[in-house]
Amino acid sequence: MTSGARPRQRPSSRLAPPPNPPSAEASPNPAGPPAPPRSSEKRPFLLDFFPLETDKETRLSRFYDRLREGRLSTTRCAKDDLLHWPPRTACPKCHTEELTWVDLPERGRVYAFSAVLVGAPLGMEADVPFAVGLVDLEGVPLRLFGRIEGKPWSALKVGETVHVEPYDIGDGRFFYRFRAVES
Amino acid sequence: MTARSVALVGGTTTRFGVRPTTWSEMAQEVGAALFRAVPELRAEDVDSLFVGAAEPERFAFQSHVAPLAAEQMGLRPTNILQRTELACASGQSAIRSAYAAIAAGLSDIAVAVGVEKMNLPSMAEANSAMGCVMDRPWDGASGATAPPFFAMVAQRHMLEYGTTEDQLAAVSEKNHRFANSNPHAQFYEKSFPREKLLRLPVIAPPLRLGDCSSMTDGAAAVVLAGEEFVRRYTDTAAWVRGTGQYSDFHNLSNAGSLTDWVGLKHASRNALQRAKITVRDLDLAEVHDCFTISEIIEYEALGLCEAGRGGEFAADGRGEVGGDLVVNPRGGLLGCGHPLGATGIGQAVEVFQQFTHTVPSTRQAPDPEWALVHNLSGSANVHSVMVYQRGGAS
Repeated sequence: MTSGARPRQRPSSRLAPPPNPPSAEASPNPAGPPAPPRSSEKRPFLLDFFPLETDKETRLSRFYDRLREGRLSTTRCAKDDLLHWPPRTACPKCHTEELTWVDLPERGRVYAFSAVLVGAPLGMEADVPFAVGLVDLEGVPLRLFGRIEGKPWSALKVGETVHVEPYDIGDGRFFYRFRAVES
Repeated sequence: MTARSVALVGGTTTRFGVRPTTWSEMAQEVGAALFRAVPELRAEDVDSLFVGAAEPERFAFQSHVAPLAAEQMGLRPTNILQRTELACASGQSAIRSAYAAIAAGLSDIAVAVGVEKMNLPSMAEANSAMGCVMDRPWDGASGATAPPFFAMVAQRHMLEYGTTEDQLAAVSEKNHRFANSNPHAQFYEKSFPREKLLRLPVIAPPLRLGDCSSMTDGAAAVVLAGEEFVRRYTDTAAWVRGTGQYSDFHNLSNAGSLTDWVGLKHASRNALQRAKITVRDLDLAEVHDCFTISEIIEYEALGLCEAGRGGEFAADGRGEVGGDLVVNPRGGLLGCGHPLGATGIGQAVEVFQQFTHTVPSTRQAPDPEWALVHNLSGSANVHSVMVYQRGGAS
């Protein structure tokens, strides 16, 4: 995990408007199809995969607050010595709601991976192709699913080391992703 | 258990595929077809209707589909009317709910129907619907849909057991060949030899297009009856002898081993024990080949072969007519397409037609007595199994 949240620029070709962008109102027939919206573009709630993250919307807001600070965390039940993923509001074993927040390791190893080459959900079409995988976090019994960035999917290997980092959705919200660190 | 015996006494399916028709129209179409397929069926005798539909809210912008389906089909249920939702297993859920209701004496004659409309003007919207089958704010937010998940399953199976792309293609080749003789299949009269399958584009590495079932529109329906009503409809019935179901996780992070499908082992063991048979007694199996790797692991988890040998089972033709048992003679999800709510019902229709010898000879299991139907749902985190026995009207 990086020490602080680093909002990253995505490839400019996907973000930059075309030269002399036609105004949507002024030009009913813009040349070519419209560019797919990027993930962060505000969309109706029922078409937005990312969660609502504030304490007015979720009891897990601390997860997202910590993520914004560059820390991946989850809940732990002290009684059962059980680490949860995803974070919870009640322990699935003893059902206590007295849970503590703990930081998770920033390194892990790829257990399995694939990539989305076609068929991405709405809002993710511009990201294609992107790699996804299951990552065994170092030193804890958790295997997290997430996107893997940093190299093309065809160069990834099972067992290679990745780091977890915050991903700036772009509208004030954050999520987590993995980044390949081996060349 | 001394519950009343229940049999499947008839059924039908619409054409599966990319259909120029709506959810409601397909419910009408399958209703009309059901009354033709089961000529003795009278609407007023159907006291209960169970509607398998996975995501009509997302795919057809429609909730409360149980009464909608009843109206489309010309039914007025008086005992139980409900929708069953279990993603890819929604259809089997409708059948097992009908079975439970009849066995408990809450229904005498029930229809289980499955309808799904999946092809939308915007396929990105359809893919979003598939993404929220997963744990949406976690797995879905990371871009998970079925293909990349089952691709990871395939990657691990290849790594752990040496399973090959060619063995995956053997499954697809078999099921597409069966679909070739099924006029209701999405890929009816389409040829997919192995060398062609191995040249199709990669969808989610290592899975190619031919390794994946399709986004499909379709509907299917069956009639179930309590033992004293069976003879009214048929001389030969598919008696429900066992069911089993198991669920052990939802979030992908909690999947454990990707290649050892413990849930299917539990579900099939329970279903077979209730039927008082073993897997060796099965003459045919309709299993959930949403992806080629699924069918390979299902051979293993059902106990048809050892762990890791599912690829060989496929390549050696042990699931063909003339093999150990016939697997997916309907054409499977790979050949028929996978309209989520209709799939499990379509599989049950195939079992009934196999028992009554009303399928083309190219896919007819030799004189079948025992059949197993399996559906997984989501990320293979739920497994649902039913066991049927051919028998006369008692």
